[in-house]
Amino acid sequence: MISLKDVSFYYKRGKPIFEHLNLEIPSKLITFIVGPNGGGKTTLGKLMAGILKPQSGVVLVDSLNTKTVPLAELGAKVGYLFQEPERQIFAATVRDEIGFVLSLRDKPQGEIATIVDAVLEQFQLTHLAAVSPLKLSRGEKQRLAIAAIMVNQPQFFILDEPTTGLDRERIDILSGVIEDLQQRGIGMAIISHDQSFVRRHAQQVITVAGGEIVDVAAYHP
Amino acid sequence: MTWQLTTLDPRTKLIIVLCLSSLAVFCQNIYLLLLVLLLTLIVVKLTGGELGQLFSKFKKFIKVFLAVIVIQSIFTNEGQVLLQVMQIKLLTDVGLLRGLQTVLRFLIVIAAAVVMTTANSRDIIQGLIQWKVPYELAFMVTIAIRFLPLLQEEATDTLTALQLRGVNLKKIPILKRLRTYSYLLMPLLTSVLIKARDLSVAMEMRAFRAYPQRTSLRELHFARIDYFVIVLSMLLFQLLLWAALVLS
Ligand SMILES: Nc1ncnc2c1ncn2[C@@H]1O[C@H](COP(=O)(O)OP(=O)(O)OP(=O)(O)O)[C@@H](O)[C@H]1O
Ligand SMILES: [Mg+2]
Repeated sequence: MISLKDVSFYYKRGKPIFEHLNLEIPSKLITFIVGPNGGGKTTLGKLMAGILKPQSGVVLVDSLNTKTVPLAELGAKVGYLFQEPERQIFAATVRDEIGFVLSLRDKPQGEIATIVDAVLEQFQLTHLAAVSPLKLSRGEKQRLAIAAIMVNQPQFFILDEPTTGLDRERIDILSGVIEDLQQRGIGMAIISHDQSFVRRHAQQVITVAGGEIVDVAAYHP
Repeated sequence: MTWQLTTLDPRTKLIIVLCLSSLAVFCQNIYLLLLVLLLTLIVVKLTGGELGQLFSKFKKFIKVFLAVIVIQSIFTNEGQVLLQVMQIKLLTDVGLLRGLQTVLRFLIVIAAAVVMTTANSRDIIQGLIQWKVPYELAFMVTIAIRFLPLLQEEATDTLTALQLRGVNLKKIPILKRLRTYSYLLMPLLTSVLIKARDLSVAMEMRAFRAYPQRTSLRELHFARIDYFVIVLSMLLFQLLLWAALVLS
């Protein structure tokens, strides 16, 4: 569970984005975060992942305080997909992109290959294994980014506008990935503007506008 | 006359910055360098730069500064040893002095650069053009200035993304760390290349350089305060330069 307790945050002093915010995100459900542009959705997502730290109040990820725990450790609990997938693509091939983190951590090569193969399979990327990530389409890049996060086996995902720029078919593939993840017991917070996407997956919807939680609603599809 | 000089002509700011950074190069004396640093900080404050931000930037360089001082001590074989580990003189008084000199110079140049960021980039181009610098050149300079903060933001995002993938930079041994940095370079380089490509297309579309001569709607004019500040900077520059010569 991710909980925000009395959280205040600003980018620039004197211009607070959130003030005294309290919020709990259940760990097994799919929670959508919706609201107008500039309402603070991305900021909220980054606070939840520990990418941004609140100036006052605490954010707890499974009772770990994001202010004191190193990002590398938080990353093992929460996977975060940036709004621009390019910012989290590092390697020269799809295969290396998924595996390099493990090799930096001194896992034996054989073990890495097994894990990487499984993940490639799960995300339907096997045929692209030797391709440069930069040559992928937007939808494929995004799948790759999620796949690469998966090797750390986080128990929770935060996805920032994952459907932007995807056609219906790619959205269906993404939906499949999301359903698959949920069956593995992984919870998610998804930021989205896509009404039908929200209706399809949401179990809880949080509306953020002007730095306030305007509405929290349980959802029964 | 008010003391808030935020509206100074960008050319005036450029002159001040040039004076300050040349002083940083010419001065040897520690006290003189300190004085120049103080002057620079005052200029930053008066032109509306943020001192707080500047100091946090300084903080990031502290390790580099310490390294500079130690390196100067190890490689200058003179002076009294202040700190010695085995056969290596880690800190000597001459080394300390030279190290401090270098550090102060760094600080002055960094602080002086902040003065330029208080000027609007369009105004900087306009200023350079009115100084007869070719437009293309002036344009490139401002693009560089404009894109730097963007790049910085992207770099921090990328670094965060890498750490979230479970890479703890502090725990990786030094050799592997180099490999890690090479992974960081990839997204940065691609984003720079993509930006450059997009920008050049956008510029072509707007008929950049369709005519050799450009006219500008906005022209810069020196105000009385600009003349005053320029003369004052020149005088101070001369004075400090003379002091530097005498003291060296
Ligand atoms: N790095 C930053 N520095 C300063 N202000 C920022 C920064 N990032 C966002 N903001 C401001 O914070 C507010 C909330 O932005 P945020 O990106 O969280 O909104 P959002 O709900 O994700 O919008 P969108 O739907 O467009 O993605 C906005 O007013 C924005 O201008
Ligand atoms: Mg956003």
